[in-house]
Amino acid sequence: MKICTRQICFIMLAYTAVSKIIIYPTFLSSLCGRDLWFPALFSFAVQAVVVWAISYLCSRTDKTLFQLIEGTLGNICARIVYGLFGLFFILGTIMPLSEQKLYTHAIFYDTVPSLLVFLPFFMFSVYAASKKFTNIGRSADICLPLFVLSLLFLLVMSLWEVHWDNFLPAFKTPAKDLFGGSLATAYLFFEPCWLLMFMGHFKYNKWDATKITASYIGGGLLVMLILFIYYGIYGEAAVSRQFAISKISLFFPAIDLLGRIDLVALYVLEVVMLFAVVLNIQLAVHCFAECTGWQNRAALSAIVNGVLLVLIIVLDSKYNSLSQVFGKWLWIVFLLFATVVPLLSWAMKRRAK
Amino acid sequence: MVTLEKNIKGIKDVLTSQDIIVFEFQSSAGKKFAAIYADGIADKQLLGELVVKPLREVGRDAKLEEVKLLLASPEVKDCKKIKDGITEVSDGNAVLFVDGEKDFFVIGLKNPPGRSVAEPPTQVTLKGPREGFTEDIKVNLGLVRKRLKSEKLHIKMLKSGQRSDTAVALIYLDDVVKKGLPEEVEKRIADNEIDLIPDSSYIAQFISGSPKSLFKRNGTSEKPDIFCAKVCEGRVGIIVDGSPIALTVPYILTEDLQTAEDYYSVSYRSTILRILRVFSLMVGMFLPAMYISAQLFKIQLIPFQLLLKISSSISGLPLSPSVEMFFTLFVLEVLNEASIRMPKYVGLALSVVGALVLGDTAVKAGIISTPAIIIVAFSAICLYTTPDLVETTSTLRWIFLIISGSIGPFGIVLFAAFIICYLVTEQSYGAPLLAPFAPVVKSDLYDSMVKANMKNLKDRPRSYGTQNKVRYKAK
Repeated sequence: MKICTRQICFIMLAYTAVSKIIIYPTFLSSLCGRDLWFPALFSFAVQAVVVWAISYLCSRTDKTLFQLIEGTLGNICARIVYGLFGLFFILGTIMPLSEQKLYTHAIFYDTVPSLLVFLPFFMFSVYAASKKFTNIGRSADICLPLFVLSLLFLLVMSLWEVHWDNFLPAFKTPAKDLFGGSLATAYLFFEPCWLLMFMGHFKYNKWDATKITASYIGGGLLVMLILFIYYGIYGEAAVSRQFAISKISLFFPAIDLLGRIDLVALYVLEVVMLFAVVLNIQLAVHCFAECTGWQNRAALSAIVNGVLLVLIIVLDSKYNSLSQVFGKWLWIVFLLFATVVPLLSWAMKRRAK
Repeated sequence: MVTLEKNIKGIKDVLTSQDIIVFEFQSSAGKKFAAIYADGIADKQLLGELVVKPLREVGRDAKLEEVKLLLASPEVKDCKKIKDGITEVSDGNAVLFVDGEKDFFVIGLKNPPGRSVAEPPTQVTLKGPREGFTEDIKVNLGLVRKRLKSEKLHIKMLKSGQRSDTAVALIYLDDVVKKGLPEEVEKRIADNEIDLIPDSSYIAQFISGSPKSLFKRNGTSEKPDIFCAKVCEGRVGIIVDGSPIALTVPYILTEDLQTAEDYYSVSYRSTILRILRVFSLMVGMFLPAMYISAQLFKIQLIPFQLLLKISSSISGLPLSPSVEMFFTLFVLEVLNEASIRMPKYVGLALSVVGALVLGDTAVKAGIISTPAIIIVAFSAICLYTTPDLVETTSTLRWIFLIISGSIGPFGIVLFAAFIICYLVTEQSYGAPLLAPFAPVVKSDLYDSMVKANMKNLKDRPRSYGTQNKVRYKAK
């Protein structure tokens, strides 16, 4: 088997969390204020159910999604679905990639550098995305300890500054805004699609569905904790403090004496973030390889990364417009691919002819 | 009837050099013999004691079998082909021709000049055995046999090098090693068609599978105790004649973070030292690059008070921070290279010139700053905490330095991620290079960054796919 349950759990825990701690907290605080935790809780709860549904489906079949669709609807249909998933993963990468670009500019440089400094990312991405699931799994093995250590370091530095009264009075935000916040950030929630792609590539053992779902919930809880810390420190000023994770530990007393030691943890965490972003690109390449039957992954990876590179260059200064388009219009695409399609996979024949 | 002269001519026609000695003698009864050996690598005294002296008693009509019975050497081999005789003479053994006989004997008299067993300079320990391998394969095999008396210990002798015909020994425990592994190693050694094998590093390149990689694929050891411990864990050991450095495969990166002393000290202390080595390795590789990045791109990385100190020492420097660091590192590499190559006594003068004249004067002249020298020196010291990885890490340090000077800290992180991505799928004979961390091998974690108590190390490392997984059974 190319990947194992432990590695999937690591991905669900670490990559889920790191992909939602850059701009997500700021965005939620602008939409829902002190009740920002509610839309996050709602989104994670819905996705956790879908994650459980897919991991439970894995216990019922040893087929990959491609084989399931092929067995039910035919090879052409399976190729089309995988092609659409490939496009979806590219779409899903645009926002995290734009966030990454802004975030790296903020934490790595004192002055805003040229876009050029971010472009070497694509060299790494071309290489990493040409690798198969074994690489994804083993990278996760390395990333988890890095994630745990760096996040723990940041949390220890930041927890003392939280003012819990910033969350009172609770539930003053209208329900429409709370659910609106959840929909507007739906473009960051597509972990069930990761699991869907891993289906059939790992050996299912008893309780694996529980382990995978628990890992996802763990990742969600960590994001919630960061949301609480972030808003607990900044209160209503949180809206103007972007890149939440780099802001939460700024008030730790030792920073005056030792310098920005939190940056060391942030740099370590950045390694995990890079792998989390690249995972989407790796899966896009995987989908296109299945769709086209073309096994030259290096070439496919170069094409996919080329497309993303063009998009990042073209949309260089359009982050706000992009987030509006994704938040207002494209959430339906994410809902469809990350929630509806995974649940529909239950309808496939689990024993392909 | 084959005459003695004809046999001698058969060898002398091929081995024409003057150090090939032909010693003709006869028994008291008049039976003629000729011993041929290479001067300097065959033991002449043994030839006299074990061959010439006993053969004085041979009768004139004695047959080959009778002659053999009289030979006092424990290493006597029958030989039929002159070609084999030539190989043996070149190897340091002697051939013995008997007048009137076509067949001949090969007498094991190989005794090339070499140093005695001593403590290896690259793996010095405070505790534990101090014996080290020498350049003589026989001595080295003896040092291994001394420690591993198991009947399952297999030593397979191979030859490598089309012209050098160097002896190579494959050593493994038959009931422990992964099935098929010795054969695979043997095939890779046999597949190389190089003419000379002067050192085991040549063999290392042939058996690596990824010779162009910056990361090696085999472990090395100069100490028989470490070598035997590795063989017991299920690796195949390779000893090459003429090299004091033995190789082991499969290899995982954590091996080089471990030292022999880790196993001879208290486990807590060993764990602390291993963590210290990893930390030093990171500091050694990243510190110069991070210092440049901090100066050029992210000044917040440096504490304010330290920043004031640095700014006062770098003010007025003619070189940019990255060129300054590049220059300082270049000087360090030159000094390092020169101090290894130079004669010992010149080396002492060199360190004075290097440290005082170059370092002190360059700072006083305002060409380079004190922090740059401190950082480069500390980085060098840190890398030498894991000497087996120095070649790789010092190269990486250069790459990180170039990247940090051009892209900044993001480049450092990106390249680190690239290295991780590269290493996670790399293997050495089926053992993942980053095992037991990627993939996680739970039982092997007890002897990785952490060094558990010997009582907790009941199993052999799983990463190598050994047949016999249990190291010992607790009573």
